[in-house]
Amino acid sequence: MTRPGFVLEVDERTPPLLVHRGEGFGVQRFPLGTRVVYPPDSLPALPDVRGSIRHAIMNPLGSEPLPELLRPGMRLTIAFDDISLPLPPMNPPDVRQLVLEEVLELAARRGVEDVELLVANSLHRRMTGKEIEAVVGERVFRSFWPESLRNFDAEDPGGLTYIGQTDKGEDVEISRRAAESDLLVYVNINLVAMDGGHKSVPVGLGSYRSLRHHHNVNTMLHSRSYMDPPSSALHGSAARMGRLLADHLRIFTIETTLNNETFPREFGFLNRREWEWSLRDQAGYLAAKKANDAAPGRIRREVFRRIRAPYGVTGVHAGETEAVHEQTLANVHRQQKVEVSGQSDIMVVGLPYICPYNVNSIMNPILVMCLGLGYFFNMYVGRPLVRPGGALILCHPVPWEFHTVHHPSYVDFFEEVLAETTDPSQIESKFEEQYATDPWYVHLYRNSHAYHGVHPFYMWYWGAHALDHLGDVIFVGGDRRAVRRMGFRAASTFADALEMARERVGSSPTITYLHSPPLALAEVR
Amino acid sequence: MSTSPISEGLTGSKILVTGVTGFVGQAVLERLLADVPDAGLVLLVRAQGGLSGRDRVESLLAGPVFNTLRDRVGAPALRSLLDERVEVIEADVADGPPALPPDLGIVFHCAATVSFDPPIDQGFRANVVGTVNLYRAIRESLPHVVHVSTAYVAGVARGIVAEEPLQHQVDWRVELDAADEARRTVEAASRRPELLDGFLRRAAREHSRAGPQTVADDAERRRRRWVDRRLVEYGRARAQTLGWPDVYALTKALGERVAEEAARDGVPVSIVRPSIVESALRHPYPGWIEGFKMAEPIILAYGRGNIPEFPGIPEGIVDLIPVDLVVNAMLAVAATRPEREPRYYHVCSGARNPLRYRELFEHVRSYFRANPLTQRARGEIRVPDWRFPGRASVERMMRAGERALGAADRVVRRLPRSSRVRGWVRRLDRERGRLDFVRKYADLYGAYTEAEVIYTDERIVELWESLSAEDRERFPFDAGAIDWRHYIEEVHCPAVTRTLRFERPARPEARVEVRPRENGVLAVFDLEGTVVASNVVESFLWVRLADLEPDRWPAAIVSLARSMPRYLAAERRDRGAFLRSFYRRYEGASLVSLHRLVDDVVAPFILRRVSPGAVRRIREHRAAGHRTVLVTGALEPFVSPLRPLFDEVVAARVVVDDDGRLTGYLERPPLVGEARAPWLRRYAARLGADLQASHAYADSHSDLPLLTTVGNPAAVNPDVALYRVARSRGWPVEEWPQAEGTPRVLLPAGAAR
Repeated sequence: MTRPGFVLEVDERTPPLLVHRGEGFGVQRFPLGTRVVYPPDSLPALPDVRGSIRHAIMNPLGSEPLPELLRPGMRLTIAFDDISLPLPPMNPPDVRQLVLEEVLELAARRGVEDVELLVANSLHRRMTGKEIEAVVGERVFRSFWPESLRNFDAEDPGGLTYIGQTDKGEDVEISRRAAESDLLVYVNINLVAMDGGHKSVPVGLGSYRSLRHHHNVNTMLHSRSYMDPPSSALHGSAARMGRLLADHLRIFTIETTLNNETFPREFGFLNRREWEWSLRDQAGYLAAKKANDAAPGRIRREVFRRIRAPYGVTGVHAGETEAVHEQTLANVHRQQKVEVSGQSDIMVVGLPYICPYNVNSIMNPILVMCLGLGYFFNMYVGRPLVRPGGALILCHPVPWEFHTVHHPSYVDFFEEVLAETTDPSQIESKFEEQYATDPWYVHLYRNSHAYHGVHPFYMWYWGAHALDHLGDVIFVGGDRRAVRRMGFRAASTFADALEMARERVGSSPTITYLHSPPLALAEVR
Repeated sequence: MSTSPISEGLTGSKILVTGVTGFVGQAVLERLLADVPDAGLVLLVRAQGGLSGRDRVESLLAGPVFNTLRDRVGAPALRSLLDERVEVIEADVADGPPALPPDLGIVFHCAATVSFDPPIDQGFRANVVGTVNLYRAIRESLPHVVHVSTAYVAGVARGIVAEEPLQHQVDWRVELDAADEARRTVEAASRRPELLDGFLRRAAREHSRAGPQTVADDAERRRRRWVDRRLVEYGRARAQTLGWPDVYALTKALGERVAEEAARDGVPVSIVRPSIVESALRHPYPGWIEGFKMAEPIILAYGRGNIPEFPGIPEGIVDLIPVDLVVNAMLAVAATRPEREPRYYHVCSGARNPLRYRELFEHVRSYFRANPLTQRARGEIRVPDWRFPGRASVERMMRAGERALGAADRVVRRLPRSSRVRGWVRRLDRERGRLDFVRKYADLYGAYTEAEVIYTDERIVELWESLSAEDRERFPFDAGAIDWRHYIEEVHCPAVTRTLRFERPARPEARVEVRPRENGVLAVFDLEGTVVASNVVESFLWVRLADLEPDRWPAAIVSLARSMPRYLAAERRDRGAFLRSFYRRYEGASLVSLHRLVDDVVAPFILRRVSPGAVRRIREHRAAGHRTVLVTGALEPFVSPLRPLFDEVVAARVVVDDDGRLTGYLERPPLVGEARAPWLRRYAARLGADLQASHAYADSHSDLPLLTTVGNPAAVNPDVALYRVARSRGWPVEEWPQAEGTPRVLLPAGAAR
C-alpha cells in the first residue's frame, strides 16, 4: 500500500527542505508552522504494460474492441501527444511507443493500409525527427517517417476541416486528415488532471480559429482550477467541441497514466521526503548540488536536458473518450491528490527546470511565469492553496534568456507587449490578433521549429486566474529586470521575500509550501 | 547726446572699417554707430557661406555686441542707423585693391587672420597681401589709417620693447614670394611617387576591405592633409628663423612694413599694437566677447578639469587687455592725425599693471573654486592645482600620455567588436581629445605664456593724459586702472563660462526613426554581423559536419582550421578575395543536397544566430511600407531561412555544372564593400526609390560606401573604425545582440535529422 500524500507542519525537528530553483536546487529552512504539501508516494507500476495495453484495447469502455473498428481499405489516423508530455521525457520505451506498436500491429493484421501518424502538436513547435523517434520508437519511425508520420500543421490552409459550431457558438476546426479518417485513434499521456479527455483532439489537432474560443482570458478566469475539469470553463468548452466532433468522427481514445517516479537514480533524493534521506541520498544531494553549482551554465543546462524520468505506467484505458477519461482522472488523483484544510496567506513553490514548452529548449521568463502562476498555482481542487489577496513566493532565477528558434514571438512579446502592459485583458484585446496572424511567425511555425505567434499570449492567459487572485508575486533570486518587466518583484533571499510578503498579508502569515515536483494536486477544503 | 573732443574729431569724416566681422572690428563698429554721430561708415566685408556682405553686417546688428545700443534706441532705430549711415562694400581685400569712396577721412584696418599657425601662404595672404591692397586702394584719398597690429610683432625679443618701428631687415616682398613658392613646391613634392605610395599604403591598411575607390579617396585626403601640415611647418620654421614665434606675428610685423612704406608715400598712419585682447571691461557691457580664441578655450577646459598642467613661467607676464580699452585707444588715436612719420602705440597692461602668469592662474582657480562648473548628474567639478613644473616636464607628461593612448588605440583596433570595446573606444577618444587639446594650445601659446618681455606704453599714456575729463570718462583706456581680480573673477570668467551654465538637456542619442511611407523607401540590411551573428565559415562548418558522422568531425574541423590563417589574412585584405577563395571549398557539392541540408539542419542554427532586434527592425520597416533588402556575400542557400523577411535578397551564387554540382566559382563578383554603393544607386533608380529617405544597416567600416548612399544610415554592432565614423557623423549606433542564452558554439549534434 502506497503512503498517501500528506501535509507536514514544520517544527524544530524538521530539516531544511528541498527547493527547486530552475536549473538548480537547494535546501531551505522554513518558518515554524509552515505547512508542507507532499504528494503521495509513487504508485506501483503495472508489471506488464504491453499486456495492459492489449487488455485495454480489447476490452474498451463504451466502445467495441479496437479490432472490430479496423477493416481493410479504411483510412486510419493515429494522433499522439507531443513533446510537452511527459515531463521530464520518460526513459525509453515511451509508453506512447508501446501503444502505437500495439495499434499498428493490430491495424496491419486487419489489413489497414492507409495509416497516418500525426503529432498532435497544435500550436506548439514542430518536433524534430529525433524527438519524434524518441517518442514513437525506432521501428515505427523507420516505417512511417516522414511521409506518413508528421507534425500537425495548424496553419496549412489545405490541411484543415471546418466541422461546425458548438451550441455556444464555438468554431471547431481540426486537421483535415483526422477529420476525414474513418477512425481516429488518440494516444495520450495524462501527466496531470488538465490533460486528456476532450482536450486531446479539439485542442491537439485544432487550429487558432478553434482554440481562441477557450484559450482566452475570460475562460481562464473561469477555470478554477484548470486542473479540475468539472470546475474549468476551458474543459467545458473543449468538451462541447469534443462532443460535436464525436458526432462527425469516430474517435477511439487510449489514455495512459504515470506514477511519481519523476527523477532518475542520481537525483533520487528529489523523489523522497527529506527526513527519510538515506546516507546515499544525502551524499547524492551534496554531490549533485556542488557539481551543479560549479558547472558553467551551458553544461548545467545540458545535464538537466538529458534527464529521463523512470516513470512507471499506472493505468491504460481505452474506448469512448469520456468513459476513458473518468478512469484516467481517478488514476491521476490516486497519484497526486493531497487533502489540505484551508488556505494560507502565502504559498511557496520552487520552480523546476522544465515546463511543457521548454523541452530541449530554454525556459524563458514568460514560461517561468506560466509554470508558477499557471501550472503550480492551479494545482488545486476546490480552492487555491493561497487566500485571495495572498502572496505567491516562487523560487527561480528567471534568467533573461530566449531560444530564438523555438520562441521567436516570445522575444517580441517580452520586448514589446510586456513593456507596455502586463494586464492579460489589455494584452488580449490589443495585441493577440496581430501576433496570431503575423506572416513571419506563421512562416517560422510552419517551416522552422517555432511555437505559434500567439503562444506566448496563451502562456500569459494561463496565469490570468492567479494574477486576478493574488495580492503579490515575489521571485526569490530572480533576475530583477526580467521580473520587473513582468510586473512582479524580486527578492535576494527567501527571508527577504517573506519580509516583503508580510507587508502585503500581515505580520504573522500562514505559509504553505507546495513540495513539488513530483507533482501534487491539493484538494483544499 | 553730448559730444566730446574724441567724437568731435571723428564727426563728419567718412570712416572705413575693415575686418568688421572680427572681434575688434565689431567693437569699433558698435562704438562708431553709438557714439560718433554724423560720421558716414564704409564697411569692407566679403561674402561668406552664402551670405552677402550686407547680410553679414545685418546679422552683426542682431548680435550681442549691439545689445546695449539696441536696448537703448530699439531695433528699428538701429536698423535705420544702418540704412542712413552705413555703406557696405562687398570685396575680399586679399583678392586685389577694392574700389573705395574718394572722400575717406579715417580707416580702421582691423582685418587679419588671427590663426597662429595657418599654412604659410594663407597667413601671408590675409595679413600681408590684404594690407598691401588696402594701402593701394587709398593711395589717392590719403585718409588717416589706424592700423591694428599686435604687440607680439616684437617677436622673440626679451626685456623692454618700446613704441617705435621694428628693427629688422626682412623684405616682405621676398618673403611673400617665398610663401607662394612654398605652396607650389609642397604641392609638387606631395605628388612624388614615393610619397603617394606611402599615402596609398597607409590608406590601404585601413580601407582595403572596402575597395579601391575608398582607398584612393583616403590616399588623396592624406596627401592634402600632408600639404597643409607641411605648409604650416614652413611657416613656423620661417617665422622662427627670422625671430618671430609664429607666422601670425611674422606677417603682422611685415604688415607694419607695408604701412610704413605707405606712410612714406604720404598716407598718415598710426599703428596700434594691442597685446592679448580679451572680453570687454565695461563697453558695450562687462564681459562682452566674441568667439573664444585666446585664453578662453584653456579657461573652459581648465574649469572642466581637463588640464592637469600647462607650460609657462609662473612669474612671466601675461599681457591681457580688455577689448573696449583697445577700441577706445583706437578712437583717441584716430581723432588726432599724425604728422609725416607713423606713430606707434602699445595698448598693453604689462608695463604699468603687470599680471603674472601665476596670478592669472590663481584668479581663474579661485573663480572656479567659488563657482565650479557642474557635470551633468555628476555634481561639481574640482579644478586641478598647477605646479608649473616647466615646459620640459609638461612636454614629457604629454608625450607619455600620447604614447600610452597610441598603444591603447592599436590594441583596441584589433579587439573583437563588442559593446565593451566600444565603451573603451569612447573613453579613449575622450582622453585623446583632451590631450590633443592641451598639446595644441601648449604648442600654440607656449611663447605667450613664457614671454619675458615688457611693452612700454608711454605714448599711449601721453595720449591718455591729453584727454579731457569727459573723454576719459567716456572712452577710458588706462590699463593701469584695471583691477585684475575684479576683471578676471567677476567679468571675464563669468562671461566665458556663461554658456556652460545653462542646464542643457542631455544630447539625445541619435535614433533610427521608421516613418511609414508606402512607396519609394528602401531598408537595406547587411547580413553577417548585422542581422546574424555568424559568418560564412561557421555556416560551412555546419553543413560540413551535418553531412558527416560525428567520429569524422575532428578531421573536418582540423582541415578547416589549418586554412584559417590564410583565410583570415585574405579577409583582412579584401573581403571579395576571401569569399572567392573560401567558396572553392564547395567545389563538387550538389546544389540540391546543399539546399536540403540547409533547410533540414542548418536553418535552425542560422535562425538561432539571428538577432531578435534585427528581425523586429526588419519587420518594422515592412510594416511601414518600406521595401526590405538583404545584401550579402553569403551563399544563396544559406539565406533561405530569412527569405520571407525580405522583398529582395542579393546573395552570392556559385556556378553549377551540368550535373548540378557546384564548381566553387562565383557567378558574379561578390557584392561587398564599395561595390554595394553603385549597386544600391542603380537598384534605387530602377525602382524609383528615394535614397535620401531610405535606410541602411551594417556593422563594418567596409560598409561605409553602402551607408553613405542612404539618408538614414545606422551602424549595428559596429567595429571600432565604423563606430568612430558613426559617432563623428551623429549616426545612430544600435546593438543587435543574439538572444541571451544562445550558446557560443553551435554544432549540429543531435538537434535535427
